[in-house]
Amino acid sequence: MVALVIALALFFDFTNGFHDTANAMATPIATGAIKPKTAVTLAAILNLVGAFLSTEVAKTVSGGIIREGSDGVQITPDIIFAGLMGAILWNMITWLKGLPSSSSHALFGGLIGAAIAGIGFNSINLEGLMQKVILPAIFAPLIAGIVAYVCTRLAYALTSRHDPETGSKLTQKRGGFRTGQIFTSSLVALAHGTNDAQKTMGIITLVLIAAGTQQPGSGPQFWVIAACAFAIAIGTYAGGWRIIRTMGAGLTEVKPAQGFAAETSTASAILASSHLGFALSTTQVASGSVIGSGMGRKGTSVRWSMVGKIALGWLFTLPAAGIVGALTALLVKTGVIGVLIAAVAGTAAVLFMFFYSRKSAVGHHNAIEVEEAGQAVRFAKKKAMARARAHAKAKADAKAKNDADANTPKETQR
Amino acid sequence: MKWLELLTVAGATLAAAVTVVVLYSLGVRLTAIAGDAQQASPGLKRSLAYICFGLCSLAVLFGLYLIIPYFSS
Repeated sequence: MVALVIALALFFDFTNGFHDTANAMATPIATGAIKPKTAVTLAAILNLVGAFLSTEVAKTVSGGIIREGSDGVQITPDIIFAGLMGAILWNMITWLKGLPSSSSHALFGGLIGAAIAGIGFNSINLEGLMQKVILPAIFAPLIAGIVAYVCTRLAYALTSRHDPETGSKLTQKRGGFRTGQIFTSSLVALAHGTNDAQKTMGIITLVLIAAGTQQPGSGPQFWVIAACAFAIAIGTYAGGWRIIRTMGAGLTEVKPAQGFAAETSTASAILASSHLGFALSTTQVASGSVIGSGMGRKGTSVRWSMVGKIALGWLFTLPAAGIVGALTALLVKTGVIGVLIAAVAGTAAVLFMFFYSRKSAVGHHNAIEVEEAGQAVRFAKKKAMARARAHAKAKADAKAKNDADANTPKETQR
Repeated sequence: MKWLELLTVAGATLAAAVTVVVLYSLGVRLTAIAGDAQQASPGLKRSLAYICFGLCSLAVLFGLYLIIPYFSS
């Protein structure tokens, strides 16, 4: 059972990785700052590095939502198995739909459902649930969105240049933001590694403690850290192209300055929250930032229908993963046969979704057409500007000539 | 409820993001100014731009320093 749970936990880590590639890499891919393949490789490496950097989050995972310890209930590997099942299935479903939903919420939802079904409703710490899941879910996109909005406005205000005399636009070199995006998106990937890989480390450690092979209260062992780091890196490299498409092109069109502002806000929100102890979901922060930066630039429309879809997805994450978790917990309760049925059914469902996804494959080649399109537009713009400039010059020349013509007769008259 | 923590996180996010974006935007603007044809001292503007980018990366590195417990603790 313990081995099964660890395998499942690592698979959850994998889905977490490819589900969340989009958070860091959707906007730079959309603006053409980094090539898609390079972007996922970079994100994978940084996730790997990030996972090794810190184990602070791993030590506190799942604490506070399910009452554990002497006065509460004992979490068994069965419950964790059921919870992971719910989380993985929900992650696969949202990936299939291309919805950026929080992997950590799926995990919490699965665990909560499993705990309710397996132990009873009193095992849930409602206040902890409110503080750790529901309030952050409301405030994460709000904070990130507002900050991204402010940053986008600032970035555009600071780089907008007009000729004081003629009022015509001067060169703004906003393409410079594209270089900056490489660094900011790397920062997001790193932050993701330090945050999300640890949730799985925490789970595996919890299982090991529950099984009695590890001292309670100790941190994750090295092989656990390494396995989780590699699972999330491989997942990231696999790339959740469907979600990248939603984040990079589905919500709003992203320009380099916007992408830079959005990524900076995402990175600072994640770093601030994980450092100051009010945990926010990476996915929700990133989505909020993209929406906020979309609102911050004049002439950009935010596709609110897509936003609504995503919000609906977030609303369902907790209960849906919870229901799957609860059903699995009930199955597991029946004994070894139940565990087998659950494992087989789960594997079958994941395989089905994988093959179903093959029907309409979204890969690095077609995730976002914006890159080429953006280049084409830029080209056209440059050409058009050159043409306009030439036109204006010709006009000015003609005018000067006319003036000269008009002046010469005057002079001859004199 | 952890309203204070929420406020701190919001404030820190805003401050950090605005710092980075303002510095980088200034750098971008100064590069653009330096690139103008009728610019009197492009060298000065360009070096100012590089200073802005440098300060921006310093801010980012400071953020990294804060999140990696190996350094900050």
